[in-house]
Amino acid sequence: MKARKVGIVGAGAVGATAAYTLSMMGTCHEIVLFDIAEGVAKGKALDIAQASYYSTQGTIITAAENASDIKDCDIVVITAGVPRKGDMTRADLLMINAKITKQVVENIKENSPDAIIICVSNPLDVMTYVTKRITGWENNRVIGLAGALDGSRMAYQIQKLTGYSANQIGSLVIGDHGENMIPLPQKVSVGDIPLTELVSKEDMQGIIERTKFGGAEIVKHLGTSGYYGPGRAIAHMVEAILNDSKAIVSCCTILNGEYGYSDVAVGVPIVLGANGVEKIIELELDDDTKEKFAISVKSIQDGINILKENNFFQGE
Amino acid sequence: MANKVTVIGTGNFGSTVAFILAMRGSCHEVVLRGRNLDIAKGKALDMSQAANAAREHTVVRAGAGPEDMAGSKIVVITAGAPRTPGMSRDDLLTKNAKIVKAYALEIKEHAPDAIVVVVSNPLDVMTYVAKKFTGFPRERVLGMAGILDAARMAHFIYEKLGYGAGQIRATVMGGHGDTMVPLPKFTTVAGVPIDDLLDSEEIGEIVQKTRNGGAQIVNLLGDGSAYYAPAKSTAVMVDAILKDTKQIHSCAVMLKGEYGYKDMVSGVPVMIGNDGAEQVIEMTLKTLQKTRFKNSVASVKEMVDILYKSGFFDECEKK
Repeated sequence: MKARKVGIVGAGAVGATAAYTLSMMGTCHEIVLFDIAEGVAKGKALDIAQASYYSTQGTIITAAENASDIKDCDIVVITAGVPRKGDMTRADLLMINAKITKQVVENIKENSPDAIIICVSNPLDVMTYVTKRITGWENNRVIGLAGALDGSRMAYQIQKLTGYSANQIGSLVIGDHGENMIPLPQKVSVGDIPLTELVSKEDMQGIIERTKFGGAEIVKHLGTSGYYGPGRAIAHMVEAILNDSKAIVSCCTILNGEYGYSDVAVGVPIVLGANGVEKIIELELDDDTKEKFAISVKSIQDGINILKENNFFQGE
Repeated sequence: MANKVTVIGTGNFGSTVAFILAMRGSCHEVVLRGRNLDIAKGKALDMSQAANAAREHTVVRAGAGPEDMAGSKIVVITAGAPRTPGMSRDDLLTKNAKIVKAYALEIKEHAPDAIVVVVSNPLDVMTYVAKKFTGFPRERVLGMAGILDAARMAHFIYEKLGYGAGQIRATVMGGHGDTMVPLPKFTTVAGVPIDDLLDSEEIGEIVQKTRNGGAQIVNLLGDGSAYYAPAKSTAVMVDAILKDTKQIHSCAVMLKGEYGYKDMVSGVPVMIGNDGAEQVIEMTLKTLQKTRFKNSVASVKEMVDILYKSGFFDECEKK
């Protein structure tokens, strides 16, 4: 059996933070970091490798010289792509990042043919769909980071509002990882107490709004996207897969009839285990949420259609 | 590829191994197998509920028969009669050899790709028995010995120093028994060599205490032997395999010429990963340590020879 190896494409802030978190947690034996800017991957890999002296497991981290060095990985995380600038919508990133993703994915397909891919590039849902189409892999092996991050942002809002312990707060966000995401605080608990028992309807609406703009709020302050939250959320997904923990995590996944949709990638709760997406959980949605979900799916389909119109998938 | 570990034996040792794995969420499934199914079921339920309290994903269930170990990545054999006061490890020999043989044959049939971790005593001989009757490559049959002995030595060093608990790295080689070979030269406290901290008389005292560490607990308990440190040491091996940590730990493995011995099991430093004992590490030993190691191997060989003479390995030889 091969080693537990995780490849990370893109050594920007998100990729490097994911690598650092994984090495501190000792989740895997080996991490390979790749970036088109070779020096960046090398320098960060060295720095993290030296920090690993104080981690529990002594995870080995190296920089890949070429994209083809992302070889025989159990999981490959794609963080490559142009970051969203303060005045940019996620849709603006569409074409440029689709092309980058395609190139990265073709390399992974060749060199890590048995891997599970975690897509982190934005616009997330469309890039996850692109990854699925370009690999041609089974749906369970292509997953997008969405609810794991948005859910942690929602839990933060709940913690801030109530003051109750953060690690007891549930997180559930479905829909796209963008403007039409659907935080569902009304469905989560704090400890075992439904949040509906703890906050007013008005507060609930505030949580939803602040969660939706959680990413943009950070962009506003930093001038670029957040990366600690995303890095840790990626590590959470990697850990669930490598440890086969069968954890329920909201993620972007390809639907095949679930929730009434097919041939689209969108965020829903899934069971994460050794095979990637082990199961898609179909929540009972009320009419209002169903309507929001339809809008969210449509926004993703619009993105996919732009790619189709530009013949992006031709020649598959 | 599911993440499944079978623990054979529901006594204190086996149960504590399963409990530690569940508390750490080391694997997704633990199958607990013992002679009494109800006890296995009761303990499995209790642990599964504890795992939920600990917010871990591990599910513990009882194994009714050998087929329940199918698909296990690791099978831990803790079964065997316990050592009672006054009983030497050798007294247990024939009795436990038969028990380990029976389980080894079951593993060979139902979990042919598993890595076997043996903790039944006398440890080195039982590892030899498991290796012979599974017919597995030596990478996949490991005995838990040196990690426990090293933990005990570290504790006695702490007792003497009064500081450094958790920072002491001790190394112990050789048989898991009265002839174990503690290596103070390879023992450090947060990187500081032990002989910079203690004089040779004090170190000698620690070495002696380590040798008697197991017996000391047997005598105190009056009924049965230690299991907290042994179970934790076993869990360290299981974690190292499942997480592919490539950590170096002293374990009992079949030697293939390393240190000058062949077809004999003894405790040596090995690198543990997904494939089990992936590499045996040969350290440079001083003359005194070499002699001690030789004596240690000889004492294991004596017991293996007793089993050979009684025809115990006849069916292995035939094939």
